[in-house]
Amino acid sequence: MTGSAVLNTVAIGDIQAPHLEYGQLGPMLLVFGVAVLGVLVEALVGRGWRQFIQVPLTFAGLAGAFVWILVLGVKDKPLHVAAEGAVGVDAPTLFLQGTILVLALVSLLLIADRQNGAFTPQASALPGSDAEREGIASGTVQSELYPLMLFAVGGMMLFTAANDLLTMFVALEVMSLPLYIMCGLARRRRLLSQEAAVKYFLLGAFSSAFFLYGTALLYGYAGSVRLSDIATATGNNAGSEPLLLAGIALLSVGLLFKLGAVPFQAWKPDVYQGAPTPVTALMASCTLVAAVGATLRVFYVALENMSWDWRPMMWGVAILTMLVGAIIAITQTDLKRMLAYSSIAHAGFLLTGVIATSQAGLSGTLFYLAAYGFTTIGAFAVITMVRDAGGEAGHLSRWAGLGKRSPVVAGVFAFFLLAFAGIPLTSGFTGKFAVFKAAIDGGATPLVVVGVISSAIAAFFYLRVIVVMFFSEPAADGPAVVTTIPTAAAVALGATVTVVLGVLPQPMLDVAGQAASHLFVR
Amino acid sequence: MTTLDVVFVLLGVVAVGAAVLVVTTRQLVHAALWLVVSFGALAGGYLMLTAEFVAWVQVLIYVGAVVVLLLFGIMLTRAPIGRSADLDSGNRWAALAVALATAGVLVTVLVRGFRTAYAPLDVAGQGAAKPLGESVFRIWVLPFEVLSVLLLAALVGAIVLSRREI
Amino acid sequence: MKAEGIQAASWLLIALPLAGAAILLLGGRRTDKWGHLLGAAMPLGSFAVGLAAFFQMLGYSGNARIRHLHIYDYFVVGNFKVDMGLLIDPLSISFVLLITGVGSLIHIYSIGYMAHDPDRRRFFAYLNLFVAAMLLLVLADNYLGLYIGWEGVGLASYLLIGFWQYKPTAAVAAKKAFVVNRVGDFGLSVAILLMFATFGTVQFAGVYGGIGHASQGTVTAIGLLLLLGACGKSAQLPLQSWLLDAMEGPTPVSALIHAATMVTAGVYLIVRSNPIFNLSPDARLAVTVVGAATLLAGAIIGCAKDDIKKALAGSTMSQIGYMMLAAGLGKVGYVFAIAHLIAHGFFKAGMFLGAGSVMHAMKEDVNMRKYGALRTVMYITFGTFFLGYLAIIGFPGLSGFFTKDGIIETAFNKGGTSGAVLGTCAVLGAGITAFYMSRLMFMTFFGEKRWDDDVHPHESPLVMTIPLMLLAIGSVFAGGFLVLGGFADFLAPVVGAQEHKFHWVSVPGTVTLLLMFAGVALAWMQYGARPVPREAPRGSFLTVFARRDLYGDALNESLLMRPGQWATRLAVYFDTKGVDGLVNGLAAGVGGSSGRLRRVQTGFVRSYALSMFLGAALVVGALFLVRI
Repeated sequence: MTGSAVLNTVAIGDIQAPHLEYGQLGPMLLVFGVAVLGVLVEALVGRGWRQFIQVPLTFAGLAGAFVWILVLGVKDKPLHVAAEGAVGVDAPTLFLQGTILVLALVSLLLIADRQNGAFTPQASALPGSDAEREGIASGTVQSELYPLMLFAVGGMMLFTAANDLLTMFVALEVMSLPLYIMCGLARRRRLLSQEAAVKYFLLGAFSSAFFLYGTALLYGYAGSVRLSDIATATGNNAGSEPLLLAGIALLSVGLLFKLGAVPFQAWKPDVYQGAPTPVTALMASCTLVAAVGATLRVFYVALENMSWDWRPMMWGVAILTMLVGAIIAITQTDLKRMLAYSSIAHAGFLLTGVIATSQAGLSGTLFYLAAYGFTTIGAFAVITMVRDAGGEAGHLSRWAGLGKRSPVVAGVFAFFLLAFAGIPLTSGFTGKFAVFKAAIDGGATPLVVVGVISSAIAAFFYLRVIVVMFFSEPAADGPAVVTTIPTAAAVALGATVTVVLGVLPQPMLDVAGQAASHLFVR
Repeated sequence: MTTLDVVFVLLGVVAVGAAVLVVTTRQLVHAALWLVVSFGALAGGYLMLTAEFVAWVQVLIYVGAVVVLLLFGIMLTRAPIGRSADLDSGNRWAALAVALATAGVLVTVLVRGFRTAYAPLDVAGQGAAKPLGESVFRIWVLPFEVLSVLLLAALVGAIVLSRREI
Repeated sequence: MKAEGIQAASWLLIALPLAGAAILLLGGRRTDKWGHLLGAAMPLGSFAVGLAAFFQMLGYSGNARIRHLHIYDYFVVGNFKVDMGLLIDPLSISFVLLITGVGSLIHIYSIGYMAHDPDRRRFFAYLNLFVAAMLLLVLADNYLGLYIGWEGVGLASYLLIGFWQYKPTAAVAAKKAFVVNRVGDFGLSVAILLMFATFGTVQFAGVYGGIGHASQGTVTAIGLLLLLGACGKSAQLPLQSWLLDAMEGPTPVSALIHAATMVTAGVYLIVRSNPIFNLSPDARLAVTVVGAATLLAGAIIGCAKDDIKKALAGSTMSQIGYMMLAAGLGKVGYVFAIAHLIAHGFFKAGMFLGAGSVMHAMKEDVNMRKYGALRTVMYITFGTFFLGYLAIIGFPGLSGFFTKDGIIETAFNKGGTSGAVLGTCAVLGAGITAFYMSRLMFMTFFGEKRWDDDVHPHESPLVMTIPLMLLAIGSVFAGGFLVLGGFADFLAPVVGAQEHKFHWVSVPGTVTLLLMFAGVALAWMQYGARPVPREAPRGSFLTVFARRDLYGDALNESLLMRPGQWATRLAVYFDTKGVDGLVNGLAAGVGGSSGRLRRVQTGFVRSYALSMFLGAALVVGALFLVRI
């Protein structure tokens, strides 16, 4: 060993300051900034006032970030690499970030709904103890929830914008950690909720390890973690083949876990069922958008030259995901669990858009994400409205005859289910059509065939719920439908977007097409 | 085979051996302590590769923080101290097979991948403090700052889960 | 060319009645007080817009009269485009004026006719819905929009035939209409699918542009399928059985839907699709055969009906047969078909409304054997009905003379055996038409009073007679105005420039005139000179034959229903054992696999982690396998 052990003194001014484009990073910085403000509010404001300050603050943060995104998107052709190459700000990224923000705003309506309180007043109280009873009686809510939610949303935004694998990994952790915590904060069925949180945490950490190992192997292959450098290296065939393939495989495992693709889907049903329903709505919409966005970026930028290699594997994953999600959902009796499996099937449909690796595939996937996100939040919002003495009535048998007692709510839920099934004149149909058409044009016709079969199988359990709601007799002690303004607003927003994107999809399709026109920045 | 290579291989043997003992020992606290040995050996390995900053960070974080956390966890969850017979599940032999297979695959991949890789060790490597500092605070400044957000989120989350009087 | 000016607001034509229907249906009981006024105002508004568009069109010339109005793009994915637009050209504007003009008059009439009905508002809502759907049908610039309008008018027809739900016969008639229409709609939808598969588009422009390159078989198939659709909607053989039963609905419905507009949708379809039919002589032949057969069948049925509405329905069937015949003859036949359609719209609607007026006076009795000598009490009704009658039998100088003679001439001009046969059928039909229409006139308005004791007929109120008078004016002048006024030139941008000259005197025309007088004379001898028995006599074989709708229902039963039932039983057996077995087996398989797969979800994190690990191994393996 030489004298490298001697510490070199560094003169002030020797380290060059980094060049940060604050304008491009604005939306993410705003969200993180508001989150930190929220933490300060938690620390300094009295208990009674916290909720009243946090909710408008969170709303302002998300809305302000969305406006900033619009400005960025409209001002000039967004195709920049910012923050010394860590973040890529381009049109698809802005679309995805904007979608995440809007979906987060709608989920905020659900989370902030105090009357339909889904969150425990004191997470540390043992279930069934006096402390828990006192907490529920006092009516307080742990409002750290809001900064946590903002942290998660900020992480999602960074996840879709990350231009190198290390930033992506950091964003993955920032996105997931608050979600692990929020999953454990349900008011009722505390043990199930805590179990969901622990499962999500353990399996999430497991998959992050795969992601990181894949990153390491790819670094070993390409000498850099930047996506564009990896692409160049694969083009030059510079390094060792097994390193590259193993790296791609492990990286995909990490990404596919977040998507909920088979065989990494095991966490979804338990976590969706155990988490408080507003958090499930947030996860089902925003996390899916972020995960698909990152997957798109990795496969379209870093691995574009390797498409012959990873396509067969992705075909297999997509087919399995679409089929398994639809098949297992058939025998589910709990609505939240059923929707979790349905979300697995939809992740499979989205993967067909990823596999298409074309501009049409990208724009179709973007449209599908926006459409699906709103429908999902609406569906979960309806689930929070159907309550009986023990909280939400999640079992399918309790929903029997809901159409007779609350026709409007049941009708809206039926409409959401039809949108999931992809019936024409709903946004689900347009989304599926766009994605499947891109897949066929990209040569993946068998995938589309499997997709149609899976949709047919899925239609069965969607229709079964509709039949149960409208054509069965209601139970004598059946659940009631509790309508509160924020939840009703969330349902209305979801339904409106589903209708508009089904009947007048062209404007949104144009926006998605424009966003995809230059693909991702290199 | 120079002295350096011999020392490096010895450190590796210590690391692997300690790791095997972590999963086979019947005492939970011993497992945590064997983990300390394994991490320490890894730190030594880093040091051999002129990455002294990384070596110190390894000691600080893994040995200092992670293992201490494990020990606190063992203490607070009243895990069995002393010999306990049920630390292993029935899948022990299947797990061994899988582990050996995984190890084989990874070793093959890495060896084939890095067989011709070459890094000069006679100058200050990239793991020293100065080059690390330069890259962390210039190229990697955004993920670095976002990591601080992650730590803040973790702190807030810990408080949410455990605070008694709100 | 793009629509400008008033024509750019043509979407109002459909939007106004649609809004009316929506307001009246959603408003519910609250709108009962003024619902009928709103309902009548909407088609008037559409008529105003249509008239303005028509005058604007007269300002253009030639192909500039064909204008497109783009409504919206449903979606554009890749090179697949589904959009909705309106086509404003001479053909569609003619229909628009007919539908909104005659429709408005019938709406006004209904204010009085349905005055005592508590569900009057709902009636107007359905009527408005019908008008909106019919306008969409004729204005759409693609077959998909046409199909949506097609289904819409079918729905409205079902709702309106069965309007008086407490009458079981009405409900049955509505269902029959719907089911028979389904068969036709099936043909239309298969035709549209075939078009899409062949041309990749269902826009009129796209289909007609590409029709030259399609194979002869495809063109003929599309033509025949379109004919099947037209037969269903226009009550032509073999799908004619629903029209007479549809008379169960209120009379304004029979006037608007089953005389003037909906039943003419089939003729519109064929004339609009003229580029397709021009290229397929076989399809054209089929159309003419159907038309000729139906015109005779309808006429014969009309001879034996004692129900005034059913007689008029048979007459409608027959007249539409004329239109189909003309449309199938092609070239100038298209012009005469549409001219006859418009003229028929006036006089048939007028006669139906007149029948409604008579029924109103006779306490809703439809049996003509209980009428007689009504001309002495109902002057206006008699006057307008008489003018319509003269028009339909083809009295020289009135509407029917011009249009029917035009059709007969065109048939003979076709030449060859087919031309002669078709022409002869048409001439014969004219004679029978004169016979049964005169029979109707004599039984209703002339002869002795055969009224029941408690019936005191009187003239209907003004709100009902003014539309009658306006329609009578149309009955008299419409045909001549169209044929002599250059309707062929007007329609030239749509069907091509046609050479024709109307001959006031010609051999077929003279024969037709003679047969007409013969028919009138025969009817006078049977029903005018002799007293009409109150009970229907057993009648000759021909009468019974005609009374039983030419045994249409029995024929349907033995030819279609019995074999259909046997086929159904066979299909059910095959279905339960074979297909159901397969499907249930499949479903059981899927369900079983679902049940087994769901157990993979054990709930233990370690199992999940293990499955993830194995999955990762599979993914790695899949990637490496590619390289081997």
